[in-house]
Amino acid sequence: MEFKQVIGDRSTIRFFDPDKPVEPEKIQIMLEAANRSSRAVNADFVKAVVVFRDDLDDETWEKLKTPTTTVQLDLAPVSIFWYGDMSFAEGGAARLKELVDLGALPTTHGWSHTYVDEVAFGQVVEPMSKDVMASTWAVSVECGLAINQALLAAVDEGLGVGLHAFESGTAKEALGIPDHWIPMWLMLVGYAAEDRKGGGQRPRRPLEANYYLHKYGQPWQDIPGVQDGLRKSGMLQDPMDPEKRQQEIRELAERFGLPL
Amino acid sequence: MTTAADIRDADTVRHWFASAKHDGAPDDYQERILGVLAGFSDLTGKTPDELVAFCFLRKKDTGKRFLSVKRRVQMNEWIDEYVAQEGWQGKDAVVNANVVRGFLIHNGIAIGGQVWRKRPAKDA
Ligand SMILES: Cc1cc2nc3c(=O)[nH]c(=O)nc-3n(C[C@H](O)[C@H](O)[C@H](O)COP(=O)(O)O)c2cc1C
Repeated sequence: MEFKQVIGDRSTIRFFDPDKPVEPEKIQIMLEAANRSSRAVNADFVKAVVVFRDDLDDETWEKLKTPTTTVQLDLAPVSIFWYGDMSFAEGGAARLKELVDLGALPTTHGWSHTYVDEVAFGQVVEPMSKDVMASTWAVSVECGLAINQALLAAVDEGLGVGLHAFESGTAKEALGIPDHWIPMWLMLVGYAAEDRKGGGQRPRRPLEANYYLHKYGQPWQDIPGVQDGLRKSGMLQDPMDPEKRQQEIRELAERFGLPL
Repeated sequence: MTTAADIRDADTVRHWFASAKHDGAPDDYQERILGVLAGFSDLTGKTPDELVAFCFLRKKDTGKRFLSVKRRVQMNEWIDEYVAQEGWQGKDAVVNANVVRGFLIHNGIAIGGQVWRKRPAKDA
């Protein structure tokens, strides 16, 4: 699928086909996409545990639910639990030097082994890794980057995906999560039982509400023709039609016996 | 025995019907779901308004209402008991249990609906 189409097609999927298994190869493609995400210090901030529906007992699934992560947790054939690793700095100096040797961090831009030891790692990364607030911020951003690549890879593979909260204490115990991993999000994966695009794009505020040119207060102005081009390439699509969506929800509720 | 007519005018039932747009549904459907809730009311010994109130507690310091996790679990246990008592099986069991959950959901109690599948997960 074209890149822009993938971005446009992605929406949170809430109704998965519980009887249509997901090919493990597609899950690997998602993990490979996450593994290609841009990252500071070339570190492994991001961890994930893939769980197929029948890998855990029903009681554990029940305990993993939060008030809003309920039906979809029962329907999704695959769950990916994403974590951030607070021990990301370990081995950081060596990884940076490897990038220097490869020329990814070029001498032309001031990089050297000495700079890595004394400044980049010694004065920036290592002290930051000991500050819980700063580390949590850094780890969270890294996880967001990786998780999004996995989401888009899934859409490209024809899968439905959605991110959700989960009961992290239960997951920690059930999945044997180490203490230095902090919980991020649960990604549910499966083939959509609903419209593959979740019934259309969700409302978003226009660019000028959030993006600025030169300084805060000067909203980014739409450049004529750009949105038309994005509509043609599939990044911008029709918004949700509430009536059509409600009808679809009624049909899905009927199929799965869900409350209405 | 509580009947559909007994509960139809309760605030929480009216709210459920309005919010779920059940008001416009065929009469026999309305009667059926009211009957399911009435039976649940009998089993628990609580009126619909009391069932909703039961799911919330108030914070000691601020008096703010919050959803009690324990009471939601209790609600699910009563729902299971109700299904067993009525002898509902298969899809009927799930659908009727979810009628009660739908009533609770529209009254602000996010209680996950059970999913009905042709093949239960374990036997698939
Ligand atoms: C990081 C993240 C966490 C989310 N957590 C939940 C959740 O716990 N429960 C839920 O029902 N939806 C959750 N969602 C989905 C959103 O509530 C909502 O459906 C989404 O913003 C709609 O936009 P989209 O369809 O473009 O993804 C989450 C979404 C994101 C990105």
